[in-house]
Amino acid sequence: MKPSLAPYAFVAPALLLLLTFGVLPILVAVPVSLTDLNLAGLADWSRIGFVGLDNYRRLFADPGFWQALANTGIFALLGVPAVIVVSFVAALLLHRSENRFFRALRAFYFVPAVTAIVAVSLVWGYLYNTQFGLLNHLLSVAGLPPARWLGDPVLVKLSVVFVAVWRGTGLNIIIFLAALKAIPQEYLEAAELDGASGTRKIFSIVIPLLRFAFLFVAVTTVIGWLQFFDEPFVLTKGGPLGESTSMSLFLYQEGFSAGEFGYAGAGTLVLFLIIAGVTLPQVRARRTDADR
Amino acid sequence: MRTASSRSVTVAVGAVLGAGALLTAFPFLWMVFGSVKPRSESVADPPRLLPREPTVENYARLFGELDFGRYLGNTIAVVLISMAGVLLMAMAGYGFAKFRFRGRAALFFLVPATMMIPVQVTMIPAYLVLDGMRLTGTLIGIALPGLVSGFGVFLFRQFMTTVPTEMIEAARIDGAGEARIFWRIVLPLSRPIVAVQIVLAFIGSWNSFLWPLVIAGDERLYTLSVGLALLTRQIATSPSLQMAGSTLMVVPVLVVFIVFQRHIVRGFTLSGLK
Amino acid sequence: MREKPRLALVVAAALLMLAACATATPGGGAAELTVWIMGDSSARFERLVEPFTDRTGIAVDAVAIPWDTVDQKFTTAVASGQGPDLLQIGLSKLPAFAASGALLTLDERTLKSHPGLAAANFLDGIATSATGGARVSVPWVSDTRVLFYRSDLLAAAGLTRPPATWDELRTHARTLAGQGGGRYGFHVPQWDNTLPVIMTWAQGGTIVGADGTIDFDTPAFQRAVDLYTGLYADRSVPPDADFDQVQGFVSGTSPMLVSGPYLAGAISEAAPQLAGKWSVAPIPGGAARTSLLAGSNLGIWGTTDNRDGALQLLAYLAQPRTQLTWYELDAQLPVSRAALADPELTSEPLVSVYAEQLRDAEPLPPVPNWDGETGKALLDALNSIVLTAANRDTALRGLYAATTGTPAT
Repeated sequence: MKPSLAPYAFVAPALLLLLTFGVLPILVAVPVSLTDLNLAGLADWSRIGFVGLDNYRRLFADPGFWQALANTGIFALLGVPAVIVVSFVAALLLHRSENRFFRALRAFYFVPAVTAIVAVSLVWGYLYNTQFGLLNHLLSVAGLPPARWLGDPVLVKLSVVFVAVWRGTGLNIIIFLAALKAIPQEYLEAAELDGASGTRKIFSIVIPLLRFAFLFVAVTTVIGWLQFFDEPFVLTKGGPLGESTSMSLFLYQEGFSAGEFGYAGAGTLVLFLIIAGVTLPQVRARRTDADR
Repeated sequence: MRTASSRSVTVAVGAVLGAGALLTAFPFLWMVFGSVKPRSESVADPPRLLPREPTVENYARLFGELDFGRYLGNTIAVVLISMAGVLLMAMAGYGFAKFRFRGRAALFFLVPATMMIPVQVTMIPAYLVLDGMRLTGTLIGIALPGLVSGFGVFLFRQFMTTVPTEMIEAARIDGAGEARIFWRIVLPLSRPIVAVQIVLAFIGSWNSFLWPLVIAGDERLYTLSVGLALLTRQIATSPSLQMAGSTLMVVPVLVVFIVFQRHIVRGFTLSGLK
Repeated sequence: MREKPRLALVVAAALLMLAACATATPGGGAAELTVWIMGDSSARFERLVEPFTDRTGIAVDAVAIPWDTVDQKFTTAVASGQGPDLLQIGLSKLPAFAASGALLTLDERTLKSHPGLAAANFLDGIATSATGGARVSVPWVSDTRVLFYRSDLLAAAGLTRPPATWDELRTHARTLAGQGGGRYGFHVPQWDNTLPVIMTWAQGGTIVGADGTIDFDTPAFQRAVDLYTGLYADRSVPPDADFDQVQGFVSGTSPMLVSGPYLAGAISEAAPQLAGKWSVAPIPGGAARTSLLAGSNLGIWGTTDNRDGALQLLAYLAQPRTQLTWYELDAQLPVSRAALADPELTSEPLVSVYAEQLRDAEPLPPVPNWDGETGKALLDALNSIVLTAANRDTALRGLYAATTGTPAT
């Protein structure tokens, strides 16, 4: 019974795993990004050459990098608000009743979140197919021209974002729903007695009370969207001509698939710093919040 | 107070949600119906939702010729091993929540950091580590990289800050050891969040692809997602077969969710996420 | 509340037992070979090598590797030094894998006792395809590109035979597309980085300069670009990146296309009712009628502990008899000359076309990274011209800048 050692004992196993599989790779990426590590170098360490900041210079000079960065920004700006708003509204509606029908509906909204990405790509790839897909078939039935869902430079971003939003709302709906159910009934009844209308209630009472849930969902969603990979990878492989390539996908194609691990390391660090820079302030804010 | 107008609002909301649910789940329905279509129907133009001649030949092929039964077994094994991760994350969450120790802030800062890097960059270092521990080619090796997540530790910590410290102090005064306090008091009080984490761990390990692919030396250790990837050749594979594989991957997770549903919502509720 | 610790102990014990039994036995010693096979053919491969195991007593364990993930598997194997004994290597990946130094060099001495593995037994061009001329692999299966066409739809449009030259194909396509109804005449896959090269060959040129480096700046390539962009300008080909070849062919939306033998199987399975209404023909040509020689080779892992066994297996797999059996099992074409000349094989009408085409087929130049760099630059340039109306000269100059000088030997 050594109280001073106990916390370390509790924290150690998980932390060890997180450090090994989560932090170590970041630390490794730092020196690797200063070398020209490739497949040959991986096989024989003597074939690794030090190149200083060359990888970074190459990275910032690569138009593909900037395109991927811009795309990632667009994806996040479109997707994060969409996920937050849709999840919240759906949760509000689902909160309306606890009867069996409403509870069953939750499962339907949760399905996209648990579907493996391979399955998602098969189904959505089919729905979006320009020539033979269901969506364009419906458009043709309605007398409208087919849309190039995954082929048009602008539309492809929306199509890919839509699938990711479709997938991303499931868990967040559950989070908001739980937060809503935690609001004591008295608060809402008191507001009703004061004559507050439905919408007013939502904005003045519910949302402020859910401040924490919003922050949580926002942070995790932003982190997820800055690392956007699965949907563009399986639906478009980043095409057409890089219009739907995100930073993660760019790193994967230019770095890992091409065996250019030094280059990929540089890109990874840049991406990490961006994500950390964007989310750290929010994490700090929440930590002080919860510590009170 | 259920007035008549309140009830009709509920019905209206229900209708809207129902329509939304159908739309949301439509791709899933397409997948399920597609899995029982014979190959010739899967490329039909114009597309039809319902199969004209439903068949189970795709599922028969999955379990017969394509060894999906074994992949299913491996996936279940990996999922079970991941449950140990839930325990480890609970312990860490408790440690961060209820103790003051040197380095706590710095270490806890690292937790979200692990969520900020793309997973491919962890592939080579993780493989080398596992290789050094002689865990490549084992189910434990497959489960290990994903065993603990920063997200999970975070959630546990949030919840456990709400566990009344007085109860813990009282138990200490009574002479209970730290481990016993954790087992007998903290964990039982954390049942809802544990339920949440179990479901999240289930979903994550069930769908995991990269680690089973890279760490399994032998296809005898492949999981369902790798098996599904094997079906994806460039042109020649039957779409219905792929749909069958995909359906097989989704349905069990859905069942788990439905069963644990109430606990999940309660779990998030009580985790101090107000 | 009381049963919780006990339950936990039971679960923990179960997990440990599960983990213990579920650990795969490590790769056997001298009496077992591990082979990496792409796609889901591993079960059939194990059937193929049963006679080998009977004869030599060496067990063969085939591991299925999903096509898209071969980079990850190879990378982690190289990083740790632990790989299989033999591995299947697609020709487009061969230069990168060879450069890594992870494969065993198959020099004169090593192959001395295996005359069956000599280059002369196989189709020209792939036996020695590697960087620096050192041989690190042995041919395994071949693949090529031929013309698929809907004979019924062509006849209905008054076209009695499939096109023999690209100019003919362009005219045929215009006629077929001219029938309207949202139909096209041909399909140019937007992900196919080999078709422009084949077109260049047909113009009598090559994309490798005299100094052994990539050079696209040639009149032959210009004519190929004319052809490629012309097909789009004629509106004879669909402009969609996600156009499904099988569906397009089966529905008649694209009655002609260039693809490999695997498509034949897909078409037969998807539309058995179309039997007799479609066929294959040698790829259209011009000054030459050369098609693509693709396929996979087999390499031996450098640090394998069973070199002799691996060589024996390679020799077995190179035998014409084995090659023909593999075609029966997995529909992958042989690469051994003797097997390709086998009358039973060529008695199948489709196969006789493939075999004939293989006699005039070239592999892609062995650049370090065809799919990721050279081929990608080629596709990006061409697609930007036909899809985004980019200026042709600017796009092509960008291509030359990105690719000229890439070593191709």
